[in-house]
Amino acid sequence: MNPWVLAVGLAVVVPLVAVLVLNLGRDPRSVRSPLIGRPAPPFSLTPVGGGAPVSLESLGGRPAVINFWATWCVPCFEEHAALTAAARTFREVQFLGIVYEDEEAATRAFLAERGSSYPSLLDPEGRMAIAYGVFGVPETFFIDGTGRIVEKYVGSLDRGTIATLIARAKGGAP
Amino acid sequence: MKRFAFALLALVVPPPLAEARESRAPAAGIEAPRNHPPSGAELDARTNDVAALLRCPVCQGLSVADSPSSMARNMKAEVREKLVAGYDQEQILASFERSYGEFVRLDPPMRGVNWLVWLGPLAGLAAGGAAVAWALKRSSRNAGVAKGTDPAGAASDLPSRDTLPADPRLAAAVRRSRELAYGWPGGIPPKPGASAS
Repeated sequence: MNPWVLAVGLAVVVPLVAVLVLNLGRDPRSVRSPLIGRPAPPFSLTPVGGGAPVSLESLGGRPAVINFWATWCVPCFEEHAALTAAARTFREVQFLGIVYEDEEAATRAFLAERGSSYPSLLDPEGRMAIAYGVFGVPETFFIDGTGRIVEKYVGSLDRGTIATLIARAKGGAP
Repeated sequence: MKRFAFALLALVVPPPLAEARESRAPAAGIEAPRNHPPSGAELDARTNDVAALLRCPVCQGLSVADSPSSMARNMKAEVREKLVAGYDQEQILASFERSYGEFVRLDPPMRGVNWLVWLGPLAGLAAGGAAVAWALKRSSRNAGVAKGTDPAGAASDLPSRDTLPADPRLAAAVRRSRELAYGWPGGIPPKPGASAS
């Protein structure tokens, strides 16, 4: 066999196969958020049920957990209890729900039935969802005391994961 | 050779580099508006133009202009607002890129590793053309060498009265036939100009 043909063939095929093999475990649809490590985009939204608008500045330098959710989303339903319990445990962290493409009436009924320990804010025109680069629900952002996004979690959260990511937002061990 | 291998590696690694690329997305906040704000029909047309360049994040390969989803409607409304505020197309695309990453642009911007997407097909075409030209040249040269004659002469493919089959028994039969048919002694054709008759 012509050694040149062999060399060129290997030079093309080996890296290609290596890339394919190395990426076998990756979710091809997950896109890493460019916001991680950056200041959280500002917002000012009204809570479900009315009241004064809640903004990023009103968090007063506390770490925050911002959870985008909707009543029509099954994984959101599944993680609701874990988030409610975590908000009671981690009182130094501000938990916020952001209602993503849902009716206020449905949201209010859901919260009345299932209970909640933190405010959920209405995002009627989806501005906050766009600013945070949300692809779907549930998606949860962990923000540190300086207002920087430390982590974005896509999917249903459990209590262990919430505790780990809060520790990271507080600057502790991951 | 090592450098060549790295260059080839760079050709095929775009997927894992996607992360690095996104982190290079514009960091600064949106700067001052650069445009005179459009209005009326021009505003509608410009909104559509910009929305056609944005990928709808909740769809499968649809632009914001083409998608009926409420997410796309919201994004389109934001594009319109930014146009009214006087931002130009690039500023608006960059503002969406800050939250969604380069993924949100349907046309990969011409920078960094993305040049491969734009230049790769042209480079491939040129390399393929060169390979075909080289192969054609080599095959015609080989054909000429094999016959030991002018490679251009199509007539050189035909047997002449000087040629004989390689098989000795067949060659003997051909010579005998020539002797009988033409009266050549031994079946050997006379040299040109040697025969007077």
